[in-house]
Amino acid sequence: MSFSSPMNWDWLLLPAEGMMVHPGMPAGWVEMVLAAMLLMVAWAIWIPVRAGHPHNSLSLAHLPVIGPVVRKILIMPWLLLVLRIVVAAIFMLTIYAGLFGTPLPERNLATMLTWTIWWSGLVGAIFFVGSAWCAICPWNSLSTWLVRRRLWRRGSETASLGLRVPKVLRSVWPALLMFVGLSWLELGFGVTVSPYATALLALLMVVLATVSLAVFERKAFCRYFCPVGRTIGFYSELSPVALRPIDPDVCASCTTLECYHGTADVEPCPTHLVMGRIKQNTYCISCDACSRSCPHQNVAWRLRNVGEEIIQAVHTRWDEAWFILGLLALTSFHGMTMLPAWERWMSVLAWTIGDSGQLLWSFSISMSVSLLIPVALFALLALLTQQMIATKPEYSRVFSALALSALPLAFVYHLSHNLGHLVRESRGMGQVILNPLGTNTQPLDGAEINARHMLPLIQQNAIFALQAGLLLFGFWMAVRILRHRITRVLPQGQAATGRQIMPALTFIVAITLYNLWLLMQPMTMRMCFTTP
Amino acid sequence: MNTVSFFRILVSLACMLPALPAHAHHILGKPAYNSGGENSGTPPSMQVETQIGDYLVNMMVFPAFPKPGVQGRLHLYAARLDNGQSYQGKVTFKVRDDAWFASEAEVLGTHEIDDKVYRQGFVFSKAGNYIATAEFQAEGQPYIVDLPLQVGEPTSLMPIGVAVGAIIFVLVGVRVAQRRRRTHPKGKRQHEAARGEA
Repeated sequence: MSFSSPMNWDWLLLPAEGMMVHPGMPAGWVEMVLAAMLLMVAWAIWIPVRAGHPHNSLSLAHLPVIGPVVRKILIMPWLLLVLRIVVAAIFMLTIYAGLFGTPLPERNLATMLTWTIWWSGLVGAIFFVGSAWCAICPWNSLSTWLVRRRLWRRGSETASLGLRVPKVLRSVWPALLMFVGLSWLELGFGVTVSPYATALLALLMVVLATVSLAVFERKAFCRYFCPVGRTIGFYSELSPVALRPIDPDVCASCTTLECYHGTADVEPCPTHLVMGRIKQNTYCISCDACSRSCPHQNVAWRLRNVGEEIIQAVHTRWDEAWFILGLLALTSFHGMTMLPAWERWMSVLAWTIGDSGQLLWSFSISMSVSLLIPVALFALLALLTQQMIATKPEYSRVFSALALSALPLAFVYHLSHNLGHLVRESRGMGQVILNPLGTNTQPLDGAEINARHMLPLIQQNAIFALQAGLLLFGFWMAVRILRHRITRVLPQGQAATGRQIMPALTFIVAITLYNLWLLMQPMTMRMCFTTP
Repeated sequence: MNTVSFFRILVSLACMLPALPAHAHHILGKPAYNSGGENSGTPPSMQVETQIGDYLVNMMVFPAFPKPGVQGRLHLYAARLDNGQSYQGKVTFKVRDDAWFASEAEVLGTHEIDDKVYRQGFVFSKAGNYIATAEFQAEGQPYIVDLPLQVGEPTSLMPIGVAVGAIIFVLVGVRVAQRRRRTHPKGKRQHEAARGEA
């Protein structure tokens, strides 16, 4: 299916002469997205929010056939252990390939698996399985085995110093800073196109996770420092799947809290959560410790409406609001650096400020400005919202409540952008798996480049349809979240007026239009350096 | 945090942006592979194209992945950014080990321009990671371009060694600290409390 458009949108496109690029979203899809957005804006302004939103969820343990299987799987330690060992083995092979394999990124397992498959596919996986990746994360597995010296049973408490994380670090600020740093390394320093640098980064993360586990109590790295884990945590608030009590009443009457303290065999919750009080997925790493330690076997995967958690339950702190906004700004910035015009912009900026070499100063300045603009815009519009509320609630409360609406915007753009990489650049992965070190391989030849360029794994129009659908879904979720969350800062029982939601709605529209514009642009291919 | 202090932070961040660097004309190139294209007569190369001072500099190494004992060559193109005119002075090529405690750079040769290109041949006797450097002077300022060069298939055990070393250092440190805790009266109480909790 394709849409043709009578209108000419070419004036919005940046030139890409002489560059190998993926085509951007055609005008027909863009118009469809714009029309749907218009309808949703009208709905948001004129239709009042209904009180008493239904809260539907279903524990998989209650389902007829798969229920007993789910219960069984959740208390079996060996299944997760096998998965952890397999993933850790692949991770170590990736490091080996990065250090000792070919420097050609498109032929080396380290770069192909890490950036094209894992990093691109991870965001999509969150939607379907929540924070399940954290359960098999090799950084966590390797550090746990090294420090606790146990494969799966509870390790000795004295293997770690067990210090409390300093108060100043007990937030997601460290994870946000790490995420900004990683993005700088990825996009500014070019880690994604260097197998060697990718391997070094992987080793660094294992060292950081190990040091953190050896020094601090429980899994401080997962809770406070890991940029990937926190990204997964926030995105998984939107996921329709989460680990939750099967019967909340059982948890309510529990006084022993094995999920929090652990048992003789099972670790306590690594991120300090009590299953009976868990309201949001942000810090759950799906490690299954709670399901194995619960004497009532009262923990299982639960299905719920997409975005239900974020609309109803999530409480956002100031630092968490900043993380969400950082995520939003970073994902859009990611897209911007892959525009064909990006290098020209960098060159002009470098010429203006006298930057030389890898133009890291030019990149750093552009990155800082790109991150500051959406955050400053949001801060301003949150201030405007605060001024429109008669009771003048605390600014940080308004800021934190409204920031949640940015989460689906970041998620869907992240997903749409990564989809392009995944279905176009993962071609040839079979050869890389057969020859992970890329021994005696040559760079991509003309036919291979052409195949990556012209023959994605799914049809071109299906990619555009998915991207358009995702963008609309994110917009719709953001508007819904805004309409519900704004009532939390209004006096009890008061419904938000169209005028009160207008500033934050303007932000949502502006970011979606910007992301739509990014998706319209041709995108440069990542691991393809051969001059066309 | 109130509104005023929040905007104070924003303004402080914005003020940090113009802290720009001095004109540094020494660069380490981020190399990229260039096959030269299907219809090109140019053999595959590893190249770095970069903007440095007033010049756009392109440095290439042929073949892309040289082997020990096999002749290779370096090419350098330098053109002014404002008018595209080629640099006309002399360029010196050097090479050194790509290591933290590397020995002095060895001068490969100094060349004049030949058909808009500076050319330098080389033969490496040992596999390893090297840095090839091109140096020239323009308008009284030195320009230095570095290109990382991989010759043969060198082994990269150092990162693994550093990572393993760091982990062992921390784990041994924790063990020593725990032993001290156990012998110290206050630490002993904490240790017993931890064991009790476990």
